[in-house]
Amino acid sequence: MDSVIKPGAWVVLQLPSGINRVIQVSPNTTISLGKYGSFPANLILERPYNLTFEILDRKEGEKFSRLRVVPTAELYAEIFADEASPECAAPTPNAGVATPAEPASAESTGQATAGKDVTETELKLLDENARQTLTQDEIEELKKNVTNAGKSVIDKLMSSHTAIDQKTSFSLAKYKLLKTKKYIRRFKVLPVDVPNFLEWQLSERDPSKILDIRAEMLGLVGCWANVHYGGDAVYLEDPGARCDAGGEAYAPLKPELFKGRWLVVDDTCGALTAAMAERMGLLYPEEEEDEDEEGEEDRDDQEKEETDQSAQQNTEPPAKTSKPPRGPRPSDFAIPYSQTNTITVVHAASQPNLSFLKYWGFDITAPNHPPHPLLNHLLNLTWLQLVQPERDLAYSLPPLTTSAETLMSWKPSRRGNFHRKRRRSARIRHIVDATRAGNFSGLVCASTMDPVSILKYTLPLLAGGATVAIYSPSIEPLAELADCFSVPRRTAWTSGSVPETAGKTAEELERWPGTPDFPLNPTLLLGTSLQTSRARRSQVLPGRTHPLMTERGGAEGYVFTAFRAKPAEGHVEAMGKWKKKKTEGSNSSVAAAAAAQDAAPVGADKDIPVEDATDPLPADEEMTDAPAPLAE
Amino acid sequence: MAPTTRSLAQRGSPFLDPGPVTKANSLALLHLSRDNLEPVYLAQTAGEHDGYAEGVVVNTRYGSYPHSSMIGIPWGTQIRASKVDTGSRGRKRKRPNGDDAGPSSDGTPADTPAETETPEPPQNPAKQPVATTSGFIHILPPTPELWTLSLPHRTQVVYTPDYSYILHRIRARPGTVLIEAGAGSGSFSHASVRAVYNGYPDRDGKHKGKVFSYEFHEDRYRKMKKEIQDHGLEGLVQLTHRDVYNGGFLVDGESPKASSIFLDLPSPWEALPHLSRQRPQSDKAENGSETTEEDEKPWVSPLDPKKNAYLCTFSPCIEQVTRTVSALRRLGWVDIDMLEIAHRKLHTVRDRVGLNLPYDRSVNVSAKDVDEALGRLTEIEDRLRENSRPRAGADAMDDDDDIEADDNNITAPASTAEASSARPWKDGRLVTRGEPEIKSHTSYLVFAILPREWTGEQEAAALAKYPVGETGHIVGALDKAARKKERREHLESLKNQGSRKARRNEGFERLAKISETAV
Repeated sequence: MDSVIKPGAWVVLQLPSGINRVIQVSPNTTISLGKYGSFPANLILERPYNLTFEILDRKEGEKFSRLRVVPTAELYAEIFADEASPECAAPTPNAGVATPAEPASAESTGQATAGKDVTETELKLLDENARQTLTQDEIEELKKNVTNAGKSVIDKLMSSHTAIDQKTSFSLAKYKLLKTKKYIRRFKVLPVDVPNFLEWQLSERDPSKILDIRAEMLGLVGCWANVHYGGDAVYLEDPGARCDAGGEAYAPLKPELFKGRWLVVDDTCGALTAAMAERMGLLYPEEEEDEDEEGEEDRDDQEKEETDQSAQQNTEPPAKTSKPPRGPRPSDFAIPYSQTNTITVVHAASQPNLSFLKYWGFDITAPNHPPHPLLNHLLNLTWLQLVQPERDLAYSLPPLTTSAETLMSWKPSRRGNFHRKRRRSARIRHIVDATRAGNFSGLVCASTMDPVSILKYTLPLLAGGATVAIYSPSIEPLAELADCFSVPRRTAWTSGSVPETAGKTAEELERWPGTPDFPLNPTLLLGTSLQTSRARRSQVLPGRTHPLMTERGGAEGYVFTAFRAKPAEGHVEAMGKWKKKKTEGSNSSVAAAAAAQDAAPVGADKDIPVEDATDPLPADEEMTDAPAPLAE
Repeated sequence: MAPTTRSLAQRGSPFLDPGPVTKANSLALLHLSRDNLEPVYLAQTAGEHDGYAEGVVVNTRYGSYPHSSMIGIPWGTQIRASKVDTGSRGRKRKRPNGDDAGPSSDGTPADTPAETETPEPPQNPAKQPVATTSGFIHILPPTPELWTLSLPHRTQVVYTPDYSYILHRIRARPGTVLIEAGAGSGSFSHASVRAVYNGYPDRDGKHKGKVFSYEFHEDRYRKMKKEIQDHGLEGLVQLTHRDVYNGGFLVDGESPKASSIFLDLPSPWEALPHLSRQRPQSDKAENGSETTEEDEKPWVSPLDPKKNAYLCTFSPCIEQVTRTVSALRRLGWVDIDMLEIAHRKLHTVRDRVGLNLPYDRSVNVSAKDVDEALGRLTEIEDRLRENSRPRAGADAMDDDDDIEADDNNITAPASTAEASSARPWKDGRLVTRGEPEIKSHTSYLVFAILPREWTGEQEAAALAKYPVGETGHIVGALDKAARKKERREHLESLKNQGSRKARRNEGFERLAKISETAV
């Protein structure tokens, strides 16, 4: 992630009114902030993020406004003055840290006289409009020739308010803030990273588009799914297929190379995928110190050249390189995808909707994409390709083949199409086969689809110990899902009271097709848990610290988390389930435990107390899962 | 609890890449129940250990599990309890002492160390574990979340809801250098190292993510150091034993060049001046007259000069927050944001209410709806009416018995009918409930950003690179006139060029109209 504003980058412009705008900064354009004025985009390029800029008054003979970086001392001037004032009950700042508070500037005129007892003023009930001596027309006139970045208007308004000295310090601060928000010509530029993007999408755009997923929920999903950097990129060896080689020449799958792969179902237009990519180090292109972007041109050239030449390359780079294969051009069947650190998106439509990735310079539909880490690490396939690949044409049709002579006789455009189609079919074949091979490190979901149906098809694809994290804006679908793994269900399943399970091997049970009573195999997930979390904001001002009065409502958002278990084959019984008496003694460990009692000093903390061992509880889950008895 | 042999020779942490199967000498978590996990360092022993024929054994309330039955199996596997002789080993060990004629106070201390130091020679190889008929656990790869649930508490732990949000907000991503002060119990360290990890440091010196951790407390420092070793996190977490209030954050005089900071300290404002871009003013002010030497030494900032620094402090009290925020403002931090995380866990329950349900602990025997209540009431009323009718020569006792008998007659068939189809996992209404106890306050989180330094020269360079001159297109909010003008121009250009697609679409529309009128 760059720390300065690069040309072409998407940025968040934060306006004094608290409104955020997301725009793309292109050189030699003018950025307009509506009533707050406009400025040339070149003035913020290559400048750091998070600075506060002020739009200066136009100089004589210049057609644009220049900017000024507002120092923080100026931003906080009023707060410092508040802290210094004796009325404020704020604790005195630490002497070791404190720089001497700035004296109240001209802006805070009336500060000293303001601040009477709250009850006193409340009796008087000020009428704001009556006390403002400036008429609306006068204010309009003032606004037309704004000077000093709007501060003149604010000062004028404050000084023309007759009741300013009757206000409490609280109401005065509020009044000033109100006017400042309206007139001050300042703005801040924030980077579009996942946290800022989320904030903007939730507060200004359409929160339902990202399923109302808040940062705290996204954090939980990412952590519980254990999404992290999954290792350096590893690529498959180029099979070096000639143009007359068919499907038999596809690069064989190497499941032993798989590492750090996450399966994603994303109905948030790519917000979830972006958050995961950020956690895996795939979202931001590597920072370059120098400016030249030769990589971009390289790739375009490569694609163009490809159309002019036949693909008869036999010698290829070795299997494991830390970079995508370069040098001699890869054959049509070379797989561009890494075998590690990947995101596999399963989508319900024929194309994935990952449109929000455009804010980070990635467009999955672009044919000749400039370099981006996601290119080699984002795989996508449809549910049909995952569940019934034989019914998908793109997967089941054999690749086009032709002889080298015929190929040479074709026009370049036709040749290009030929190669493109062959590359596409090899890629689809690889993605589908690799996904169906399973062994995923985790499943991450934020979907409008029923989670039970998602798990039905994805559970068999998860490796043992893999994480599952499913987000839903409402709790009902997740409660239903959690109920599929309830203790009674699990007990019924393991005790053999489900007739359909009889005679099935562990493999078959893993791919459990589901019955109305048991939509999922309840032994496949472990430690299922439902949770929600919400951030509660506060304002921190000297003597005025309190939680915010209003916050965004809407969907609360919940996360279901679990771990993939590998159930033992055959009948497994919870300890002590049916044994009420230890004296039955058919079980040797119980007998041994009993014997241990008369043996003198046994490591008491280690050995099982016999009473515990015969606890009439299903051993795999805790008591809290059992329904609590209601009051009579 | 854990065996003494815990050397992790291989590089690679089980937290970051556990591999497909469990490995010896590596951390694994035994999942006893959802909130009851036991960390275990799997040990491969050649022979008997601690009196167990099977080698090292973990004993839980759900049975005994020799380590040998847990090594080399896929993660997540359900493991059956083994038949372990837990009884006789105590006796065996006791016997040599007991033979020496009674309780000798001098014999025991001499014997015990000898026993533990020299492991018994593995003349007889470890017994192959045999599964019992009941009892099982699952074995899971360690993740920071599970570790947070099972770690040995040394201080207040930063739990998952908090650290997940903090790491998201302080932009801890692969490749980030993160400062954590107050390593505490290590839950945040584990979570943050996972967040910043992008490979172990190489000889090539390529920039890698790293956590610089500082701990003041000597004992906690030593324990943490051991944990880092055991978990294969050396090179990824650099632990320093230091009081950061006075000592600052430099490691061997060099800057960690951090861009994310997490302070879990009682008074973060005392550490904040060290996290400046330039020598903090207070330093000069304090030293005042006798500054000479201190000032001449160049002051090194622990922050990355090329990046914005993202900070989070974690304080339970509001007074700490106000002081921290005040200090942050004076030190030039911006975007100060204070909040707390309210987290709730939920359980799903089948709420079973009804008069006719089979008796169970979890069933609430009362009317499930008004109709059932009405039915019950009318039944009683009817019977009462019947009984209140004067009967010739009948005694009251019999009547009472009749009522009870009737009652049973009516309800009994219903309950047996229900019981026959009883599916406790499906009956009743599915509801969710909160936990019996919630953590209503953990700590206040204060976030802030310190932008990178921006000097006059840099500004001049940027201005030279992107000179302000002719500017064309306007981006962003436009006033009405400008918007109209743009729209007009756009329409003009469409008219003049008229793309082929647009023309074709127009043609289609015309055709459609014609066909419509024809019909």
